[in-house]
Amino acid sequence: MADPAVMAGGFTFRGGKATSSPAENYQLARRRTLQVVVSSLLTECGFESAEKAAVESLTEMIQRYISEVGRCAKAYCEHTARITPTLSDTVVTLIEMGFNVNTLPVYAKRSQRMVITAPPVTNAPVIPKALIAGQKRTHPSHIPSHFPEFPDPHTYIKTPTFREPVSDYQVVREKAASQRRDVERALTRFMAKTGETQSLFKDDITAFPLIAARPSSIPYLSALLPSELELQTLEETDSSEQDDQTDSENTPGNNLNDDPGADKENSMLPPGGVVPSVKASEENMIDNPYLRPVKKPKVRRKK
Amino acid sequence: MCSLSHLGFVELTIFPTVVNLNRIKLNSKQCRIYRVRVNDLEAPFIYNDPTLEVCHHESKQRNLNYFSSAYTAAVSAVDPDAGHGELVIKVPSELWKQGDEMNVLKVYIEFSLDQPKGGLHFVVPDVEGSMAERGAHVFSFGYQNSTRFWFPCVDSYSELCTWKLEFTVDASMVAVSCGDLVETVYTHDMRKKTFHYVLPIPTAASNISLSVGPFEILVEPYMHEVTHFCLPQLLPLLKHSMSYLHEIFEFYEEILTCRYPYSCFKTVFVDEAYVQVSSYASMSIFSTNLLHSAMIIDQTPLTRQCLAQALAQQFFGCFISRMSWADEWVLKGISGYIYGLYLKKTFGVNQYRHWIKEELDKMVEYELKMGGVLLHPTFGGGKDKDNPTPHLHFSIKHPHTLSWKYYKMFQCKAHLVMRLIENRISMEFMLQVFNKLLSLASTASSQKYQSHMWSQMLVSTHSFLKSISNVSGKDIGPLIKQWVDQSAVVKFFGSFAFNRKRNVLELEIRQDYTSSGTQKYVGPIKVTVQELDGSFNHTLQIEENSLKHDIPCHSKSRRNKKKKIPLMNGEEVDMDLSAMDADSPLLWIRIDPDMSILRKVEFEQADFMWQYQLRYERDVVAQEESILALEKFPTPASRLALTDILEQDQCFYKVRQGACFCLAKIANSMMSTWTGPPAMKSLFTRMFCCKSCPNIVKTNTFISFQSYFLQKTMPVAMAQLRDIQNLCPKDVLNFILDLIKYNDNRKNKFSDNYYRAELIDALTNSLTPAISISNEVRTVDNLNGDVRLILEEITRSLNMEKLLPSYRNTITVSCLRAIRMLQKNGHIPSDPSLFKSYAEYGHFVDVRVAALEAVVDYTRGMHRTSPSEVSRTHPIPYVVHKILSMLGKNPPFTKAAESPLCNEALVDQLWKLMNSGTSHDWRLRCDAVNLYYTLFGLTRPSCLPLPELGLVLNLKEKKAVLNPTIKPEQGPDTTEMTGITMGGLITMETVSSVSMSSGVAPPPQGLKRKLDSVVGPLGSSSPEPGQVLQEEDTSKKFKIRFNTVEEDEIDMESPHDSQAFIHHHLNILERPSTPGQHPAVLSLPVTPLPSSFGKESTSSSKHSGDHHHHHHHHEHKKKKKKKHKHKHKHKHESKDKERDSHAFSNSPASGRSARSPSMSD
Repeated sequence: MADPAVMAGGFTFRGGKATSSPAENYQLARRRTLQVVVSSLLTECGFESAEKAAVESLTEMIQRYISEVGRCAKAYCEHTARITPTLSDTVVTLIEMGFNVNTLPVYAKRSQRMVITAPPVTNAPVIPKALIAGQKRTHPSHIPSHFPEFPDPHTYIKTPTFREPVSDYQVVREKAASQRRDVERALTRFMAKTGETQSLFKDDITAFPLIAARPSSIPYLSALLPSELELQTLEETDSSEQDDQTDSENTPGNNLNDDPGADKENSMLPPGGVVPSVKASEENMIDNPYLRPVKKPKVRRKK
Repeated sequence: MCSLSHLGFVELTIFPTVVNLNRIKLNSKQCRIYRVRVNDLEAPFIYNDPTLEVCHHESKQRNLNYFSSAYTAAVSAVDPDAGHGELVIKVPSELWKQGDEMNVLKVYIEFSLDQPKGGLHFVVPDVEGSMAERGAHVFSFGYQNSTRFWFPCVDSYSELCTWKLEFTVDASMVAVSCGDLVETVYTHDMRKKTFHYVLPIPTAASNISLSVGPFEILVEPYMHEVTHFCLPQLLPLLKHSMSYLHEIFEFYEEILTCRYPYSCFKTVFVDEAYVQVSSYASMSIFSTNLLHSAMIIDQTPLTRQCLAQALAQQFFGCFISRMSWADEWVLKGISGYIYGLYLKKTFGVNQYRHWIKEELDKMVEYELKMGGVLLHPTFGGGKDKDNPTPHLHFSIKHPHTLSWKYYKMFQCKAHLVMRLIENRISMEFMLQVFNKLLSLASTASSQKYQSHMWSQMLVSTHSFLKSISNVSGKDIGPLIKQWVDQSAVVKFFGSFAFNRKRNVLELEIRQDYTSSGTQKYVGPIKVTVQELDGSFNHTLQIEENSLKHDIPCHSKSRRNKKKKIPLMNGEEVDMDLSAMDADSPLLWIRIDPDMSILRKVEFEQADFMWQYQLRYERDVVAQEESILALEKFPTPASRLALTDILEQDQCFYKVRQGACFCLAKIANSMMSTWTGPPAMKSLFTRMFCCKSCPNIVKTNTFISFQSYFLQKTMPVAMAQLRDIQNLCPKDVLNFILDLIKYNDNRKNKFSDNYYRAELIDALTNSLTPAISISNEVRTVDNLNGDVRLILEEITRSLNMEKLLPSYRNTITVSCLRAIRMLQKNGHIPSDPSLFKSYAEYGHFVDVRVAALEAVVDYTRGMHRTSPSEVSRTHPIPYVVHKILSMLGKNPPFTKAAESPLCNEALVDQLWKLMNSGTSHDWRLRCDAVNLYYTLFGLTRPSCLPLPELGLVLNLKEKKAVLNPTIKPEQGPDTTEMTGITMGGLITMETVSSVSMSSGVAPPPQGLKRKLDSVVGPLGSSSPEPGQVLQEEDTSKKFKIRFNTVEEDEIDMESPHDSQAFIHHHLNILERPSTPGQHPAVLSLPVTPLPSSFGKESTSSSKHSGDHHHHHHHHEHKKKKKKKHKHKHKHKHESKDKERDSHAFSNSPASGRSARSPSMSD
């Protein structure tokens, strides 16, 4: 026999905790039945008493087992395009789970089996109503009625919340400007807050914080090289402007001319520099002392 | 790892031309000389550099007159052109006989250079990685002939010889030097390589240069003999910036009808450059900041101009050198003149004329302020007596005593005078003269073994004038006399009256030739009169007493006829003649329109005439003159004329820019009657704003550069507008803020950094003094609303710069100026700490200079900090130069005013700085002299106690005791001042050097060399410039090795004899004998400065880390020695001696040797 105190205690504990929601009540009732089942099985096996934790564990296991059987059976049935599992689905499932089905009838008819009262009738939990959006569609004529219904409309319908985009030039510029300004301000404030700052005022150091000047070891690099952002802009304008030029520029080996701006600059300058074209092949012939390989030292052992 | 040093040896081959040659004088500064041999015989030598400390028994003398004469004397004493030098080598007596037979002398000098402060500049960024990865590099620099700072030589532009140069550098480095790179060979250990250069064209030592670094190499695609070098990562910029160079080459070769004289050309772009451009034989060193990408507009013409200048100097300055300092103007003039021709061709006539006007104005202003600039000083027999320029506080006898500003104006005047000569003899003849000079020189240069021919490669005033008269057949004597042999400019005042009856224009031209910097002009002057019937040129003769000139007019005053009016250029235009005087046919009058006199003209004519001139005269100079004049006529008509010019696309953009500022001034004068929106606002809106929404500026495209420049300038000018309360109108401020807000550069292929910087400048311009409520402290709360907006913009922009830096940090520079202006106007508390942080080493140089300018300004305004504090920076020569010149321009006080800053300590600091602190850099010394002059004038500073009472004889020891007026807190100031040099050294020490060695050795070829024969008749008489070249020597062998490490080994090798010799002489001379920073090795025990101690200890700890390297080098060195078959056995002997001498000389250097790893070896 299971210790009723334990069981009762368990119930009261849980019950006391979760009487509020009908869905929970429903589940609790089932769970209780399962617990009774476990207890009776234990009694059947000859246990006098069991610890609460052990009972709980076993209950959990049995619940998992049953759930798994149900899940698998459903999967099998859906696999064969049905919606309600049949006996054979369950059997296959049990076999799949390593259960010897043949022993089941014998076990079911065993003598010392205890009869358990049916779980108390509780209301099945109400499935919360989905948001109703639009008209639920019925099957069109070519779809048999046994097919599943359409899902709720909110899962597939378009919600027409479209508004006319603002195409007014002034507003666009206004927006772009203020957006950029906001981003910049936020960014610089963030940088100022997270790093060292300098202040222009002695009384209020937080007003107009300036990111502290930090010397760099090679200051000319950042000052002279275009930033990535600028390079990106350059590329964008380049690609839009000179499509045919890029082909000739990308000829392999012509690495003296690969500066993205060089050609453009020339083309843009006032005429006067008629630039002789440098062919890639010429480059290999450049004879410049600085390009020559370094000589190995001569072994001088003349004496 | 290694220190900033190099070691090397020089071999000169000398052909004596006099008997009794027993002394040879060479120039050398800073170098430590270990041994000198003449024809394999040890030769005793004396080293004495009087310029190290100009006034020796100084302490009480504090007046500039005294200093200037002492300094001039010191420079003269080592002047190579006069046959003097710091290093006097005694020719061993065994060789005297040979001298009689005129045999070749080979002088071999071993030397080292440790942490040079001048001559060579090491840039070693303080980052991780090898020297090459760090971008460490070194380059030679100097003002005029400064080669002596890095190797012993005859440091004169008139001593030519051929060269063979060898430089051994780390394998990751490239050594770029003059001449052709013959080969590059690895050393035996493959860690280093030796660059062998040969310069077969006779070249003066002063035109030799070197730069070493991990350069990226770009071969000019159009001319493979031209090679460009830049620092790592900058190659794309280099490619773009150099894409234009070949055209400059073509241009010069074409106009000079002469090929580029050298067989190759190299451009090197270095960081921390001394000047933007410096040209040496077959190579030029540029500032790396000239490089730019294709997105940059403003820098592009500037960089091209720099290239063009460098190339012009290659022809005149490097290939053709000068006979003496007095002939410098010819070279500067010609190179400046042909550069001007290039400007005219590339940037157009407008730009050229604008440039000429600008240069003329600049020069005239300087001369009127400071007294004249003399191009060709002639010094009579009496040496110091007749000073041709008594008005100056420095001597113009030597380039090294000149103020930098004076030298700039000198160059300016030189090319303007060349232009005057061109006006006189025509350009064709002018170019023929140049061609003649060049072809003579190139013929001479190919005469390998006839060195007497080489004088053809030197230009003198005389030879130049002779060529001119030969080629043109014209006598330009008066012109030369007026502008070259004589200083000062002409100042004209003109006015006129129209005599209706005679139909004559009565022009009165007066001159002011009594005030400083002016001279009297007698001769022709051109006057252009625009009449109704056309434009007429008249040439008037300015004579002694004639002031009035009658010019007959061609047209009657008839204005009823509708007729087009012909202009000077043949164009005929319709004019609205309603503004003009009904009785007079004169539209406008111009005096000397072609700027063919170095003059300033103040001409009076009616406002409508200026307006006509502005509108219809096509010459930009005339337009600019009329803009300047219209400032005085704030009338609606002027306003209209200026607005019309602003709108004219045809008009030169710089004129339009000028019109903007003039319009702003006029608007301010017309404040009460001004109608309509603020000046230029509607114009700007029409030109640059969207049609649909006039308050929003168009997105940037900058396709038209003219509009770009106008767009940049207009807001700056508009911000100068003021309303009745003398505030910037609210409209204008909001307008500028909107420009910043709506600025959109996303679709632009050009960078907008300059534009944005100018918008910040516009905000700065809009600032007006805060309404001061007593002297309360400025706080955030009482910030004016407008100022708050401005400050917000500045803060945001400055912060954004940290994240997305702009090209050359232009925006940071503008923001710093804006903040200073806010402080100055009392909107925010005045505080230099922000600027000081930006002034530190490690910021981009433009930013540093802007920050320093603010600090200097603060010093002036607040009278609080001493200017010396300002100079506490890393010693990039350029930056220190800037500081001193900014202090000079914006002095914290002047001689007239009283100031708490003007005290004895400051006088001493400054005196020390110019007396001994700047011996490594001529330019800095002259800057210091200038500053001293600005602050204290020529005579003894008033703040000093009278010499009779003061007893401040020996300030070094007794200052604290005897002079109670010096407050204790002034002590630190002194060290701060020395911080210019000392502090810098420490910084340079911790960073450390590119390991390199170099050698220079010419083949046995000619070289002119003057020597000083003590008994000889020539040595005693002071020779004429030409005469100096009496003795000749043919070859100069010269090797330098830049060394990581160090002098100790060399110390060991230096022969005992010479050491003793030096000691002996030192005792006699009682002067510091070795260059500045290491006096101790050769001199008597000296207590070193505390700061030197710190320096040395850091360095020695550094050295120990480099043991391996050192060892290797030592080995290498030995090999070299063997090769040259020198008394190797003496080495160890002398080693012991050295150790002894070190032991007793309590010097930092000896301390270092003892600790140095090689000693334990």
